[in-house]
Amino acid sequence: MDSTAQNAISGEMGIAEPERDDVLLRRAAKGDEEAFTLLYRRHQAAMYRFALRMTGSAWAAEEIVQDVFMTLMRAPKKYDSSRGTLGGYLYGIARNRVMKHLERLPREVPLEQKNEDGSGAGIILRDPATPATWVETRERMKQVRAAVLELPAEFREAVVLCELQELSYEEAAQAAGCPIGTIRSRLHRGRALLLAKLEMLRDVPRRVSVAR
Amino acid sequence: MKCEEFDAIGLGAERDASLSELERAAAREHASACSRCAALQDSWQAARVELHAFADSTAAAETPARVEMRLRQEFRTQHGTMKARRLAVIAAWELAAAAVLAAAVSWSNWRKSQQEAAARHLTAPQNSALAPARNDGAKTNSANLQNAGNGAQPGSADSDSAETLVADNELDNFTPLPGALPAEADDASIFRVRMQRGALGALGLPVNEERAGEWIQVDLLVGDDGLPQAVRLPQQ
Repeated sequence: MDSTAQNAISGEMGIAEPERDDVLLRRAAKGDEEAFTLLYRRHQAAMYRFALRMTGSAWAAEEIVQDVFMTLMRAPKKYDSSRGTLGGYLYGIARNRVMKHLERLPREVPLEQKNEDGSGAGIILRDPATPATWVETRERMKQVRAAVLELPAEFREAVVLCELQELSYEEAAQAAGCPIGTIRSRLHRGRALLLAKLEMLRDVPRRVSVAR
Repeated sequence: MKCEEFDAIGLGAERDASLSELERAAAREHASACSRCAALQDSWQAARVELHAFADSTAAAETPARVEMRLRQEFRTQHGTMKARRLAVIAAWELAAAAVLAAAVSWSNWRKSQQEAAARHLTAPQNSALAPARNDGAKTNSANLQNAGNGAQPGSADSDSAETLVADNELDNFTPLPGALPAEADDASIFRVRMQRGALGALGLPVNEERAGEWIQVDLLVGDDGLPQAVRLPQQ
């Protein structure tokens, strides 16, 4: 499981009592910058990856994370610890921002992100055995990325939360603000669509090569 | 379990904590018995591997450091502004409290001075108009009274300042009123009063009718029964 995502959701795992999320948030609300920074560092990675995987855009993910923590900074009292973890609350905000972002965008999928210096940002190969494998894996990653990003937003959200962020169904339901049955249903539909898209993308190069 | 049920829950059965162990076992059993669902499960497992590879490719992704810098700057600005606003509010309250305190002290002083002035004002007429004095004995001065009754002006309405109403403690020159019983001198008091000359007539003294409206000062010797016993015109 994605440990930062899990930490973001659990919020209290392995954290000493004085450093719990709600304690830190109370301190931050009183103007303790260090507490706010700790909270940010604890949750930013999970939020960023979620936004990145949902939008496929590094700059959009950056904006979304900034927006999420701005919201937390400006209205820390909106978070009610009795209703769930801070991670779940932040996922909820991030999800709303992602959905707004997706609504604004034209329906086109960026296949590869570029860093500010122009280098590729999307895919990092861990253990490329040979250049041929490297190219093949890179190509396949592009396809998977495209397949995920082409899913309708609600199905994509379920797939990203449960399969990429590796949240449990309960945690995903809390983050998405819906019942667990809805998550299960969306995940079922999302998986089916994803399988179909991956199959289709896999077949395209084959058909092209056969045609040649 | 049927294929439709497997489609709905079978692929995620192992991770779905809301499913019972029985349902998971049923999904496994169905996958082992149904070639279609087994193929679907295999496809999904392969897709999961690819998804995990994709997840791994972004596993190290973190928000750029500039976002933290921006947020911290915004935090400082926001809480600096809030702190300044709080200080301004506190200062305003302090000023208001100081103003209220000053006003209260001023009002208290003013009220105290007013009370003192009122007390002075009340005691002054008492000291002047009603200045009782214990006497050793009563003597009379019929000449003075006669003069008064005939129009002499030992005191007039013009000289009505408070000081002129202070009675003389000496018992000389008193003229007994007609019909008044002589009282013990120890129990008598002298009051200096201002009255119209005509009022002397009510005390049984002769009055010049032409000058009955004039204001004069007289000393009345009043017995312990509160009745005037003698009268004199103070020397000017």
